[in-house]
Amino acid sequence: MKLNENALAVSGVTKRFGSLTAVDDVSLMVPAGEIVALLGPNGAGKTTLLDMVLGFTSPASGTITVMGREPRAAATSGEVGAVLQTRGLLDDLTVSETLRMVAACHQRHLPLADVMGRAGITDFGSTKVGKCSGGQVQRLRFALSLLTDPQLLILDEPTAGMDAGARRDFWQTMHAEAERGRTVVFATHYLQEADDYADRVILMRSGKVVADGTVAEMTATQDRIIHGIWLRAEVDPADVARKLGVHDWSREDSRVRFATADSDELARHVLGENLMRDLEISRPSMESVFFELTDSHEEGVLR
Amino acid sequence: MNGRIVARYTAWEFWRNVRMVDSTFFVIVLPAAMYLMFGVGMNEGEMSAGHGNIAAYVMTSMAVYGAVIATTAMAGSAAIERNYGWGRQLSLTGLSNGGYFSGKMLASVAMAIVPILTVFVVGVATGAQFDGVWRWFAVAGLCLLVALPFGFYGLGAALLFRSETAVSAASGILVILSFFGNLFVPLSGTMLAIAKFTPLYGVATLARWPQMEGFIIPMGEVGPGYVPEFDSLPLVLANIAVWTLIFVGICVLAARRRTQR
Repeated sequence: MKLNENALAVSGVTKRFGSLTAVDDVSLMVPAGEIVALLGPNGAGKTTLLDMVLGFTSPASGTITVMGREPRAAATSGEVGAVLQTRGLLDDLTVSETLRMVAACHQRHLPLADVMGRAGITDFGSTKVGKCSGGQVQRLRFALSLLTDPQLLILDEPTAGMDAGARRDFWQTMHAEAERGRTVVFATHYLQEADDYADRVILMRSGKVVADGTVAEMTATQDRIIHGIWLRAEVDPADVARKLGVHDWSREDSRVRFATADSDELARHVLGENLMRDLEISRPSMESVFFELTDSHEEGVLR
Repeated sequence: MNGRIVARYTAWEFWRNVRMVDSTFFVIVLPAAMYLMFGVGMNEGEMSAGHGNIAAYVMTSMAVYGAVIATTAMAGSAAIERNYGWGRQLSLTGLSNGGYFSGKMLASVAMAIVPILTVFVVGVATGAQFDGVWRWFAVAGLCLLVALPFGFYGLGAALLFRSETAVSAASGILVILSFFGNLFVPLSGTMLAIAKFTPLYGVATLARWPQMEGFIIPMGEVGPGYVPEFDSLPLVLANIAVWTLIFVGICVLAARRRTQR
């Protein structure tokens, strides 16, 4: 792959299963070195898209280029590593045997002790896969994906089945790998993961990309939240909201919350008139963006 | 297809299957033990039968039994593993689909050779006899050859029911089929008439052909009115051909049903 080329280029890709359009005219570019989260509810088309990126299935129309090559060629050459969602491991092998057997099927691979150390599986290397916890199995899958020192890592819900502690540990490990300059594309339905670990978030719904950008960019287009304690009982917050053209507000005892595009003007007003104290102005969370873009049109979402 | 990768994969596949205690017991220990019980322990082993003795006859039966169990289990587990996504994991390596199937096939053949070799070695050590060295090799080769169609039998069970239990059940049914295949006790009368239509009868009779040439060993003492019974080679081959076609047909239908979903 040449420098400055995209690690992953998806252009106008559509995939249908019978009458169902699982991926609908999706285009996206992932430059080398970027960490991208593919975020969306179940059935948004994330796994279907990643399956095509790995060459398991072919798009009905559109093209996919992975590390400058056709997906299947990239996947078998070891340039792409992947953590898959399916079970896919043999219960009768131990953790280290699984790694050795898969390594034996590669053209070349990194020293196994290194890979085990980096993925954090050395401690339970002699445990049978069938007796591993969900988190340990995911770590083994991660180790398998690192075997060939791939430049692009595809992770399909890598922390599925992990508890909070294991999830945090996993992402720490992942981050160390990303700092080695790998490109990482991970699918998740955990907002926090996308928010915390991705440079960029691609939001999918019903097979379409509905938003694509950094977390800051996505939350920037949304209303700011002004939140505080209402001081003057004789003034109705409803009147203030009407006067300043704020449609979204709520009250709970003495606490009042406004959502507005022009937070500066509202803040000036409530402070100038001494209407509120303990004023807090915040950007909406990624969560509200997520629900704004995905939840409101639930019909047509695949299950 | 990369030959070195296929060789390494085959070696791993063989090793992990040999190591699985439950399958190894049925494939290696049980046939050898049954040979010792029926072929040596009954004190009839020395008696001659065709171009060899009774011990050699039982030895062949048990080698067929072990080899058939091996190919059934190997093919069945291959389909189950792929279903569980192990195939997807391997398809992200340098092992191609063709390499995967070649490797599985080679490992299955190796797994079928293990019980044949084991039973034959035990046989040599305990007085099994064939007339002429070539018969040892011919019978061993036939044991391996006739076990191969049962790969489709195991594969068909796995494709139809898609569970490890189904593959175990298919192996279990082989015990009953072995009984009808004349592998354990010599059958006669109505039982023998039914047995001739069952899948293991044809393959067992073919494996024994260099020794018995179709002669059916009678059950129990032979009375004065006894007329020797023989199987005809074309009918034996027809039995094998028909059952192989049935197994392949089940695989094709099950695979087609699967892709339609």
